[in-house]
Amino acid sequence: MKRALFPGLTAALAIALLTLLPGCVAGGGGYYEGGGVDVTYGADFYEPWGYEYGGWGPGYWVGPARGGHRRPDWGGRAPPAYRPAAPSRSMPSIPSRSRSR
Amino acid sequence: MPHRAHPIRELPARIFLAVLLGVGAAAPLAAAPVPLPPLVQPATSEHHVGKVIWVDLVTPNLSAAEHFYAGLFGWTFREIHSRSTDYAVALLDGRPVCGLIEHAAPAGEHRQPGWLTFIAVSDVDATHQLIVQQGGQVLAAPHSYPQRGRQAVFTDPQGAVFAVLASTSGDPPDVLASPGEWIWSSLITRDPGTAAAFYQSLFGYEVFDSSDEAASEHLILSTEDYARASVNGLPENTGHHHPHWLNFVRVLDTEQMTVTATQLGGRVLVEPRVDRHGGKVAVVADPFGAPFGLLEWPESQSKEDMQ
Repeated sequence: MKRALFPGLTAALAIALLTLLPGCVAGGGGYYEGGGVDVTYGADFYEPWGYEYGGWGPGYWVGPARGGHRRPDWGGRAPPAYRPAAPSRSMPSIPSRSRSR
Repeated sequence: MPHRAHPIRELPARIFLAVLLGVGAAAPLAAAPVPLPPLVQPATSEHHVGKVIWVDLVTPNLSAAEHFYAGLFGWTFREIHSRSTDYAVALLDGRPVCGLIEHAAPAGEHRQPGWLTFIAVSDVDATHQLIVQQGGQVLAAPHSYPQRGRQAVFTDPQGAVFAVLASTSGDPPDVLASPGEWIWSSLITRDPGTAAAFYQSLFGYEVFDSSDEAASEHLILSTEDYARASVNGLPENTGHHHPHWLNFVRVLDTEQMTVTATQLGGRVLVEPRVDRHGGKVAVVADPFGAPFGLLEWPESQSKEDMQ
């Protein structure tokens, strides 16, 4: 009877392939992936260039209003693209409840 | 007499087997997604669709970024490494406040680091479909991270980058941010009304017009009777601009924080100025150019606190 050159080699190859296979197909979803072997975090990208700040003149508000802020009446404006909140709704503010410790 | 293999002859096979098994066992680990921690610990059943629940900084130098933000806000960091990603969770008083990812800028492209804004959704895949239908573009397709949840990254039709996240551990509670925590977000874009309509279709926002001047739109996006973000027009007379989300950290003294940011290698993009609520805001950039806002919110002036 002919003896195998490396006893157990066939079994080792089979085990290794079975173990490696999931690693090859587990990739996917990352924005910058490493060839399907490694999954990077799906948010590791850069923004388009072009933030220039300035021109925040008087009346250019960005922050939230205090609760109960009076809503302006821009009756002369064209209807907005969005559905405005009902006139009866007062403008909300951010949460004010303290974190319970 | 039973046959016994020659130990020297079997040695190559044994080494080969050991190497293959070692590589085989390591491969799935390398392929595993970045083990991002849960947003909320212990987990809750709270969900606040439309709320900004997380931000991630993409930076070319993680350790330098950690040094800057630790010096400015007192954040500490827990680093998480996978084979191709160096990620750090920033903590304040032991609570996760945001993430930082080290990633080199794409070669040959003029792009800049930024803070990525994650908005809460209940169904990432349904939101993904809606965004595509409404003219948004996919930057990172929906993907699940076991403890974090399912998330995806998009640009809105005007080009602002944002992400959506369905957190598996629940959303952070609706409480007043402590100094050093993110308190507010603004979308600065070319056409605020059209942008508000887009985000309203995704998150069901109530939209309030808070403009003081007809020429300067300032819209408030709200869910659950809480203001979640503003939408502002890009200021005129800025030559080089791009729609983007800008996130604000609550601070006690905006003036002092801009000084500290400068000392740490950052720069001031918008000098401290009083905003509508009576506190000062400013915009600064970290040493690598990622912009973020500072916002004072004196508790003593809170309407609910005064009642």
